[in-house]
Amino acid sequence: MSPESQAPGWEWYYIAMYFFVGGTAAGAYFIGSLLEFVGAEKHREISKVAYYVAFPLALLCPIFLIGDLGQPTRFFNLFTTVNWLSPVSFGSWALLIFGGMSFLSFVDNLIADGKLKFAPFSNLYNRIPRKLYAIVGSVAGFFIAGYTGVLLNLTARPFWAATDPLLGTLFIASGASSGAAAIALVMAIRKMASGEAFEQLENFDRLVMFLELLLIVGIVLVAGQFAAPLVSGAYALMFWGGAVLLGVLVPLGLNWYGSRSGMSASTLVLITAILVLLGGALLRISIVQAGNT
Amino acid sequence: MAKGMFVDTSICTGCKACQVACKEWNALEPEPSHFKGDPFKGGIAINFTGDSYDNTGSLSATDWRRVRFIEQFSDSREGGRWLFMSDSCKHCNDAGCLNACPVSAIVRRADTGNVFVQQEVCIGCKYCIPACPFGVISFNEKTKTVHKCTLCDDRIHNGLGTACAKACPTGSILFGDTGDLRKKADARLAQLKTLGQAKANIYGYNEAGGLNVFYLLLDKPSVYGQPENPVVPQRRLLLSTGFTAVGAVITGLAALFAFRERGARANAEVKQ
Repeated sequence: MSPESQAPGWEWYYIAMYFFVGGTAAGAYFIGSLLEFVGAEKHREISKVAYYVAFPLALLCPIFLIGDLGQPTRFFNLFTTVNWLSPVSFGSWALLIFGGMSFLSFVDNLIADGKLKFAPFSNLYNRIPRKLYAIVGSVAGFFIAGYTGVLLNLTARPFWAATDPLLGTLFIASGASSGAAAIALVMAIRKMASGEAFEQLENFDRLVMFLELLLIVGIVLVAGQFAAPLVSGAYALMFWGGAVLLGVLVPLGLNWYGSRSGMSASTLVLITAILVLLGGALLRISIVQAGNT
Repeated sequence: MAKGMFVDTSICTGCKACQVACKEWNALEPEPSHFKGDPFKGGIAINFTGDSYDNTGSLSATDWRRVRFIEQFSDSREGGRWLFMSDSCKHCNDAGCLNACPVSAIVRRADTGNVFVQQEVCIGCKYCIPACPFGVISFNEKTKTVHKCTLCDDRIHNGLGTACAKACPTGSILFGDTGDLRKKADARLAQLKTLGQAKANIYGYNEAGGLNVFYLLLDKPSVYGQPENPVVPQRRLLLSTGFTAVGAVITGLAALFAFRERGARANAEVKQ
């Protein structure tokens, strides 16, 4: 821990937003691939929506990342070397693999839904067992969701260093919850948000939100005095009001209490999903910026 | 043979010749004017640090050297001393910036052990900046890459010492083989101890795998704005990734639990 360290000065609309968008894509993707691995027929819709959500979001990631570089045209230097000590280095490679995996799943679903006709792809794709895709896909998803937290932990900035080693797990839980919310949002818009499988998705979201809450308490406790910029400084409102209250507590409350209120189920799903996504974004922005200024 | 510098702060006079020499040799940009507009026509001072004679405030992409000024007074202000320290990149043996660089733009010279940034490779991702426990490396908005002290890589490979050491009028900054410099540092420390400087210490023998640029300080490192126990961030990699992997497993188990089949009939389906 070193108060003398300098802040990187990343733009929040690039790096913090990448953490959010990448985390959501990864969360959605590992839900999709885990369900492909262990799920039943009724989960097919969820995993399909997950794949449809993950790839477009994954496609945004390099735009954020390259946008923040001082020398954007040199981004390919990342792929001329591997540095196992640097999360930025192995994260770039992981993002490449994740992008490839989510692209394959995306195209596979387009073909399965008859929206795209390209027989050679299916022939090649189906030659490899689906379970293998599912395993590699889930691992890549967890990796993308989690390495951004490790990336922040492995610095000398007082707040980021003090929260070591919890940020990776927090970002995985938050990515899982916003990934589930993104899937729920798309399903609600397409009027598919009902049935036993969907309830299970909401259950999962609830579980990971509890985990997230636990980890938020954890980082505030382990960071101690170094949590000041987050819990009482410039980002306190964003963190407590946005990430914790609107992003976790209100959705949990809506989940628990909402079914008894008069609100229609689909509106409830819609509101909850939007709040969780907003909370996920504010969580990343407040945590990244608390060490970045 | 590793080259480095020994900075004996006990004989530094705070003249900033090292700052000037560094700027000149490395062609670093000058500081912006202290006055916005003509000071004789009501121009205002804009970038005084307000911290003794310190004129840089921090190390930066254009300030590779910074003379720190520490004013120590007793509560009654009867006794006091003025400490100086010419600060720069320490060329750590286990360098956080080098470890963090995703494109291997930051490298160590095998022969002299100095750490420097290959400007034509750096992509400007800025990840090395928070990775330095000493707050040395910085981003330059004009070149859009990071810069820091190179230990005068061009000079030392042509038989010259570093520019700052060359310019130092009191011999406070010495350049040479780190082994020789350590002997000098130990001797000087012993001398100062006998002269009653009980708090005198050497900073940099063990920190971050050993610093090739090390200091003789007259007070605790934190008085000079140096971290007492600098941690190379990457040494936490295994713990951090290990814990995150456990987190991933827990989240995975939560998913298995949430999406589990209910009832015996369903269990049979899963086993198929």
